[in-house]
Amino acid sequence: MSALLRAEVLKLRTTRTFLALAGLAVGTSLLITTLVSLLTEPTGDSVLTDVFTSDTSSLFILVLAVVGISGEWRHRTITSSLLAEPDRLRFLAAKTLAFAVAGLLLSLAISLSVAVVGFIVLGLRDLPTPGLGELATQVGHNASVAMLLGAFGVGVGALVRNQVVAVVGLLVLAFVVEPVLIGLAPEVFRYAPFVALPTAASDISAGDSGLGGVDLLAPGLAVLAMLGWIAAAFAAGAALLRARDLD
Amino acid sequence: MLLGLIHADAGRGRFGGQRYEDLSHPSAQVGVVLEDASFHPGRTGRNHLRVLAAAGRHPDERVDEVLERVGLTPAADRRVKGYSMGMRQRLAIAVALLGDPRVLILDEPANGLDPPGIRWMRDLLRSEAARGSAVLVSSHLLSEVAQSVDDVVVIAGGALRANGPLEQVLGGGAGPVTRVRAAEPQRLGSILSDQGIRADSDAAGALIARGVTPDRVGKLAADHGLALIELVAVSRSLEEAFLDLTADPS
Repeated sequence: MSALLRAEVLKLRTTRTFLALAGLAVGTSLLITTLVSLLTEPTGDSVLTDVFTSDTSSLFILVLAVVGISGEWRHRTITSSLLAEPDRLRFLAAKTLAFAVAGLLLSLAISLSVAVVGFIVLGLRDLPTPGLGELATQVGHNASVAMLLGAFGVGVGALVRNQVVAVVGLLVLAFVVEPVLIGLAPEVFRYAPFVALPTAASDISAGDSGLGGVDLLAPGLAVLAMLGWIAAAFAAGAALLRARDLD
Repeated sequence: MLLGLIHADAGRGRFGGQRYEDLSHPSAQVGVVLEDASFHPGRTGRNHLRVLAAAGRHPDERVDEVLERVGLTPAADRRVKGYSMGMRQRLAIAVALLGDPRVLILDEPANGLDPPGIRWMRDLLRSEAARGSAVLVSSHLLSEVAQSVDDVVVIAGGALRANGPLEQVLGGGAGPVTRVRAAEPQRLGSILSDQGIRADSDAAGALIARGVTPDRVGKLAADHGLALIELVAVSRSLEEAFLDLTADPS
């Protein structure tokens, strides 16, 4: 498995798509952090949530994972991948792990950048900064969410061969369908995987994340629920991949 | 189907008794070039090979070795989207050679190659066969195939139509065919007939001997002190043989 994992990480490192989207994730996170820390007046209680949770890695790693698996079909590299590793389950597992690792690293890189910029700007404005302990905890939450969404994205992407449909479908689900459903039935859709569970797992309150009124799960429970979604998406994606002919 | 990429309705293909999916180290045992070999256009040729070397547990040094072998070293760090058809085909062959396998399966390997490239590919396949590898080539370029193969399998309509050494397939069911002209044609005809060899005269007065090679006819003539004027193997082209073998009987 380690050889396959290495191959999947190499795939990520050797295309511009990953580097470009990862750069964009760092850039947008830094932009948000800079603007918020320059234009708002966070208090000691709110500064952690207001300034140091602008980690966009979860969205970008989700998109990257969907692009990564659907790109195998788009560029027809799935054939050479499965000739090198004919066990389709192992192939998908390696890709899932690779994107979980990529999510972790991307989130840590963003958190580090955000922390540096946030502390500098807030320090210059003589505003309160969070304690290192609580910041480290938040970084851990963000990183675990990015890992989970990286893994989840591979399972979701394995269900759709067409890359454009996969990416557009993902964005519509995350930004339109799920928020609407949460508004309609918050008790049910607080278990939804694109917004509600990641927000809960990040330990961000519903009010701070625009989900006011929703009774979000505790972070630990949200992580468990996400693992359930990952298992379901992986099982469905693996079943489909094993049944498909590569003609 | 042989490689587990398409599910078979029935039957199985095996390598040394094992299905491709069950091989412990598949790319080190079977190298594959498919007709529509595809690559990520934004990845360089070298990186494409590095990815597959990692997945196949082959040392990184093999990447440079196969790049050199297929003549792609100068273009190794260019993105594949800038490669010509021939360069892509060479890259596909490099992938097949990565694990130094003893079985090579190539589907239309001459696709996109220019004449020197085709000759290079032919020499490569012959050298692989000479060192004991099994090389299976699937191609519609029959004249090209005929120059480099030892054995031929003809499949049409899902059925095996012929299988055997090239000469045998070209000779049809009767085996090799020899055209011979002798100073005493009637005497040669008797000698061949005594050996149970069927021979018919053609319009030019030569004998067409069926199921016998020129070597044997020449030796028989020499044994009987008979002078020969012409002695040549007669064969159909592989294309003619293929068309005959796959012709609709109706």
